[in-house]
Amino acid sequence: MLNELLFQFATWLDGFQSSTNLHEALYAYGWVEGTHVLTLTLFLGMLLVIDLRLLGVAFKELPASTLIERLDKPMMIGFVIMLISGALLFYAIPVRSTQSIWFRVKVVFIIAAGINALLIRNMTRASDMSWDNDPVPPKRIRVGAAMSLGLWILVVASGRNMAYDWWDCHKEMPHFMYWAAGCVNELAAFE
Amino acid sequence: MDIVFIFEWLDASWLSELARTSAGVFSMVQAVHILSMIMLCGMLILGDLRMLNVVLTGVPSDVIIQNTKKWIYIGLVGIILSGIYEASAIAMKLATNSFFWAKMAGLAMGIVFLLSVRSAVYSRAPEVIGSNGPQSDAVEAWVVKLVALANLFIWFSVAANGRWIGFS
Repeated sequence: MLNELLFQFATWLDGFQSSTNLHEALYAYGWVEGTHVLTLTLFLGMLLVIDLRLLGVAFKELPASTLIERLDKPMMIGFVIMLISGALLFYAIPVRSTQSIWFRVKVVFIIAAGINALLIRNMTRASDMSWDNDPVPPKRIRVGAAMSLGLWILVVASGRNMAYDWWDCHKEMPHFMYWAAGCVNELAAFE
Repeated sequence: MDIVFIFEWLDASWLSELARTSAGVFSMVQAVHILSMIMLCGMLILGDLRMLNVVLTGVPSDVIIQNTKKWIYIGLVGIILSGIYEASAIAMKLATNSFFWAKMAGLAMGIVFLLSVRSAVYSRAPEVIGSNGPQSDAVEAWVVKLVALANLFIWFSVAANGRWIGFS
């Protein structure tokens, strides 16, 4: 049901001339993808600094709250640009992206990373930042920071793998993979 | 000097064979390349934005620069090693690719600039920027900011040219 809805949505987007134009543009698509990758350095670069501090392996002289609060703005600027450029990339190739197992895995990891970030925020608020000046934060905070780094590494890796067609719908795959990738036409052929 | 023989050697190496035949390994190395770029550029951006008084104003700059050093070097080693592996798969194509040479020129310039000018100037940042206390050999504030902008520009060009290799 969800696969059909997503496919219909992607097909609807694909019908716009501007979607085709963006995909086929000589420079525009490259610029959007380049922007998407380059803003990773701003967003994930700042997140890396914060996570390394929360892991207690770098910037130990600085209060954790100073880094969290004051790097939030540049990090979010990077995130917003990354989100907009990512949405444009999806808009340029909506059907293949929707039916990409790697894109789906990437979205799941992004959601997991978002939930993890909220949990870390709640934990830091609940603890009243009593460990703020400690070189090594409490274990639960370090676990959260390690999870954050791990999840974002997986987001980057799965995003990179979207360029490959290993599990595209036109390939021979097990039924489960067709379902996981949302290959509605191939699934219909099974029935 | 003709250095095409280096690309010919790389093209015929076992590394090239491995890179061409193992798509799974190749994609993982590509991810390592991007992650190393994030580490390298993220740390450089932090230091440069600090010196431009955009982020972490008031925090002693030497603490920031000192803490970023190790991660910058790890990121550099990561992009160079993973970059050689990636290059080995399309060595002969890269030998005549303008964006590749622009990236290499930027990379060489960036490393030299990082280890010489940036390092020397940032360690002499005036109190008004560095917040490290008064220094007898401090340079002018505009020099520090110019170095920060130049460094950001060099590394942006490295990353942007690298991205465009894929489209050329």
